[in-house]
Amino acid sequence: MLITELLHSHLLSSVVAVTGTIVLFQFVAVLQRKLNAIWLQPMLMSILVLMALLLWQDINFDRYFSNSWLLNALLEPAVVALGFPLYQHLETITKQWKNIVLTLLIGALIAIISSFIITMLIIGDYTIAVALSLKSITTPIAIAIAGQLDGNTAITAFTIILAGFFGALVGPRWLTYIKVKSPKAQGLAIGAASHAIGTATVSNISYEHAAYSSLALIVSAVITAITSPFIITFLASLW
Amino acid sequence: MKTFNKKVFNVTYSVFAICSCLAFGKLCSYFAPILPSSLYGLITFTLTLHFRLFDADKIKSTVVWCIKHMAVCFVPAGVGIVNHLDLVRQFGLAIVSITFVTTFILLTLVGLIYQRYAVSEE
Repeated sequence: MLITELLHSHLLSSVVAVTGTIVLFQFVAVLQRKLNAIWLQPMLMSILVLMALLLWQDINFDRYFSNSWLLNALLEPAVVALGFPLYQHLETITKQWKNIVLTLLIGALIAIISSFIITMLIIGDYTIAVALSLKSITTPIAIAIAGQLDGNTAITAFTIILAGFFGALVGPRWLTYIKVKSPKAQGLAIGAASHAIGTATVSNISYEHAAYSSLALIVSAVITAITSPFIITFLASLW
Repeated sequence: MKTFNKKVFNVTYSVFAICSCLAFGKLCSYFAPILPSSLYGLITFTLTLHFRLFDADKIKSTVVWCIKHMAVCFVPAGVGIVNHLDLVRQFGLAIVSITFVTTFILLTLVGLIYQRYAVSEE
């Protein structure tokens, strides 16, 4: 009787949802380390497995989402924590801030404009166009902006992972192939295009890659957060 | 025991630092709703560390651990794609292709611009 009540209680469901998600994520992370397989990306794999599980067991997503409230509540503090690497690289920014900010500003503007226009031309759906325009920046900030601009937050989260995955898998090789061999340039490019997933991947190449990539992921997020509401509103008014 | 107490203190100190910066960020976002509160919090956190209002040495290990494991917090939002399966079935290939192409445009542009103008300047 007590167990049945517990099973139906919100508290137990929350514990199961949060613990299950963390255990699954850690399991894939350990598997990835042991097999040394980049494609076994813990976030992407956890999402795919959980999606399959929800569909198979006919569990409503809103129920899972409300039960995993603890993980959602930690999103905002997680973004604040990114201030630490920014503090660590503050000296680098002050020395080269003009070049870094200008490069990332051009990158962010082109990313937002090209994604929005291509999506509107091919798909013609504003909510998806907003989602794709924000895919290059870190998830919590992108989701917050997508929510503000009436974008599709689920597709935002999905395409952010895709963009991270593409850049992490082929980014360093592609950049070397087109003769972009400087660790600083490679780090900035991958951080700007593939945010935390790309940063985590290039951190294994060198410290310089990691430093510039995390710098790019933070600066790009700030630039996109400031510019995207104005650019997207303007572009949407043209349609 | 001393090491354990020190660790507990550092974790508590870090949580307090992050939460107080986030609280300040929420206040900023309430009065100037230009950026999300978490972003105001991020900037506040960086500035408080820079001006030594919080001790970076005490915060470092906790924050490094948080950043290393933060990706798990994004999983529930990503699972939300199940609510839009019709949309994905309809536009899945287009979404993947656009993401792929625009990510490569961005990668290539940022890499080339920075290498050509900034790295060569140095």
